[in-house]
Amino acid sequence: MLSLSPKKLPSADLAPAQLEQGVSPWRDAWHRLKRNKLAVFGGVTLIVLVLACGVGPFFSPYGYEQTNLDNTFAKPNLSHWMGTDQLGRDLFTRLLYGGRISITVGLVATFVALTIGVSYGAVAGFFGGKLDAFMMRVVDILYALPFTIFVIMLMVFFGRNIYLLFVAIGAVEWLTMARIVRGQIMSLKKMEYVEAARSLGFGTQRIIFRHMIPNILGPVIVYTTLTIPGVMMLEAFLSFLGLGVQAPMSSWGVLIKDGAEKMEEYPWLLIFPGTVFSLTLFSLNFLGDGLRDALDVRSAKD
Amino acid sequence: MIPPLRFSYLFVYFAGILLLSACGPRETAVERGNREQILSRGMGPDLSDLDPALATGTSDYTVLSALFEGLVAEDPVDLHPVPGVATSWDVSPDKLTYTFHLRANARWSSGDPVTARDFLSSWQRVLTPKLAADNASLLYLVQGAEAFNKGLVTDFSKVGFAAPDARTVVITLEHPASYFLSLLQHWVWWPVHTPTLEKSGSLYERGNRWARPETFVGNGPFTLKEWRLGQRIIVEKSATYWDAATVRLSAIHFYPIEDINAEERAFRSGQLHLTEALPLAKIDTYRATQPQLLRIDPYLGTYFYRINITRPFLNARDVRRALALSVDRDLLVKNTLRGGQLPAHAFTPPGTAGYTPQARIETDFAEARRLLAAAGYPDGKGAPVIELLFNTSDNHRVIAEAIQQMWRKELGLDVRLVSMEGKSVLAARRTGDFQIMRSSWIGDYADPLSFLSVWTGDSGNNYTGWSNPDYDLLLHQATRTDDSAAREALLQKAESLLLADAPFIPIYYYTHVFLLQPSVKGWSPTLLDHHPYKHVWLQP
Repeated sequence: MLSLSPKKLPSADLAPAQLEQGVSPWRDAWHRLKRNKLAVFGGVTLIVLVLACGVGPFFSPYGYEQTNLDNTFAKPNLSHWMGTDQLGRDLFTRLLYGGRISITVGLVATFVALTIGVSYGAVAGFFGGKLDAFMMRVVDILYALPFTIFVIMLMVFFGRNIYLLFVAIGAVEWLTMARIVRGQIMSLKKMEYVEAARSLGFGTQRIIFRHMIPNILGPVIVYTTLTIPGVMMLEAFLSFLGLGVQAPMSSWGVLIKDGAEKMEEYPWLLIFPGTVFSLTLFSLNFLGDGLRDALDVRSAKD
Repeated sequence: MIPPLRFSYLFVYFAGILLLSACGPRETAVERGNREQILSRGMGPDLSDLDPALATGTSDYTVLSALFEGLVAEDPVDLHPVPGVATSWDVSPDKLTYTFHLRANARWSSGDPVTARDFLSSWQRVLTPKLAADNASLLYLVQGAEAFNKGLVTDFSKVGFAAPDARTVVITLEHPASYFLSLLQHWVWWPVHTPTLEKSGSLYERGNRWARPETFVGNGPFTLKEWRLGQRIIVEKSATYWDAATVRLSAIHFYPIEDINAEERAFRSGQLHLTEALPLAKIDTYRATQPQLLRIDPYLGTYFYRINITRPFLNARDVRRALALSVDRDLLVKNTLRGGQLPAHAFTPPGTAGYTPQARIETDFAEARRLLAAAGYPDGKGAPVIELLFNTSDNHRVIAEAIQQMWRKELGLDVRLVSMEGKSVLAARRTGDFQIMRSSWIGDYADPLSFLSVWTGDSGNNYTGWSNPDYDLLLHQATRTDDSAAREALLQKAESLLLADAPFIPIYYYTHVFLLQPSVKGWSPTLLDHHPYKHVWLQP
């Protein structure tokens, strides 16, 4: 929506039916988000990072796997902006390629977790009773499954590939989300507006997804912004196990792990990936904060 | 939701820690060890076995050498044979019969005397076909041993071992072998206490779990106290050892730390007296800042990639040659390893008992491409993805990544790196479930035969599926040749045959790069990295 001026909002002379559609909560939220400087900073940084990782490698004269054993551990210089690693590979290029993996894994796995977790938790919380008990026991059982063993099982059945990474992480991360959402929904379902919606004859689906979920976006978004960095670190761990990112492909997790081992001797190997990773996490957090404030319908009475 | 942090608790916690630590720095394992003569050392991957007949790796040797003693022992400085369980030995004029006189006060940790019978029954066990001991072939130069091991002879009295009385062992060889006494220092020759083995299972089958702290009996300067898998192994000074007066260490703690970065950190924080390895990236730093802790010792060993030649694609000789020719080992050694290693162009390290291989695998990308095209895969087209297996270690991974890139760039081959922990790698090697795997071979004794005999068709250490009757014959002749020039000519011919077929890819000749606290005394640089613990002591 590009309507920038709040003055153009619908006014009283419109038909009552139109008035009820009114300002969509999304447009309202977007407007509030834009006024939050930190959130804007976070959003812009993320866009820049995504663009750099997406397009940057096409302009780099080096490949992520291109070794140069005559130029190992080069300090940052004009031809290698972030220096080179143990095999003479350009760190900047590897950082950009690694970003593709890390950002994709972070977003996709979180999206999977979000979709499953919110729907599952909302259904369990809304219906309650035996269905809730059953669904939550399923979650408990999955919780009890050791993650590493689960991953190794997946590896045995499907072989090694990057898509498994999304499945594996997404399949584990939704559990907590489901619990959070369930708790929130249970506390919301006795609210008057739910009663009102029900008395208007709306279906269960509509009540859950149009009326209740927008009301729990706050905690959901906070948890999501915490999930993305967690997922990125998880990816590093899995790559270490041999699932997911295969050498010589890089990811931020892999670069940071490598860099941390050599930080005393060759600090740039840690500083650059670490800085970019932190920047991403900060941006995500600022954006998440801003989104939470913007989407919180209870504080929308300004 | 995330529970709110209880800052007050945290505060109390940290304040407590500060208070405790204010009482003075805690004594590290190294300081305590220096005081109480307890050596703490890293040992690389965890043990595969503590049974001398079945142990296969260098980390097994690291612990075994504290627990057992053979007929002859080693001098701590140059490893020449010195009296062990045997006080002296006579060699017959034809150099075929060795008579060992056992000492009267050699005892097992259970108190029983070590007798000639113990040795004979241990060797019979090693040679029993059912046990399938990897190192059984090291006994083959004893008369009839090979036939017995292959099941052609079932009567052990036909094998050239004899025990005329409880304190005399007579060994008759197939042919004269100047290196026989050095060979005796290999753990496969060490005795086991057969009554103990029989108590916990069958003598001649794998899976007998006698080598556990509760049941363990050995005859070495130390005895097994504790073995917690993946955590630590403790051996303590043995009271029954005949030369206990020489042993100055009271205990040795072995830590199987596979992550060499973690090992280096443990060393730095005072948990270890010496490490098994050092991350490549840290060599330069230690060289510049703390040279007194860094040791680079010569080491008789070769780092190489084994090729499973039973696999399609890799079974083509030209393919294997192409792979071997396109590894730029000189550059790798100079710029990535940086630990004084030598690039390996053959299998036997140069200068092994005066022998330097003449055949060489040079780096020649053009020839490699030509060979690959001749094999039907021009520029790698149509070639399958190669899997390169290595045990989880940063140093192995870095080298594998470099070679992966060399093959991709020069030959257009796709290589997938597969990393597993040590035991799984050994299992894959045993079952042949690999395509190319990282391997190393450390000389058992200083003679080219210790290296070249790996590749004979019946060797328990071959694992590649490669065998060549001409090669076996050349080695067979070499072992039976007394004239050293003729022997060398035969070995040279064998090695060039081997390199032409390339069932492996040589990468570099080892040096042993590790960290050592200056308080460890008696740790001389030895070519085989053997350090008899009874001559080691700690002095801050």
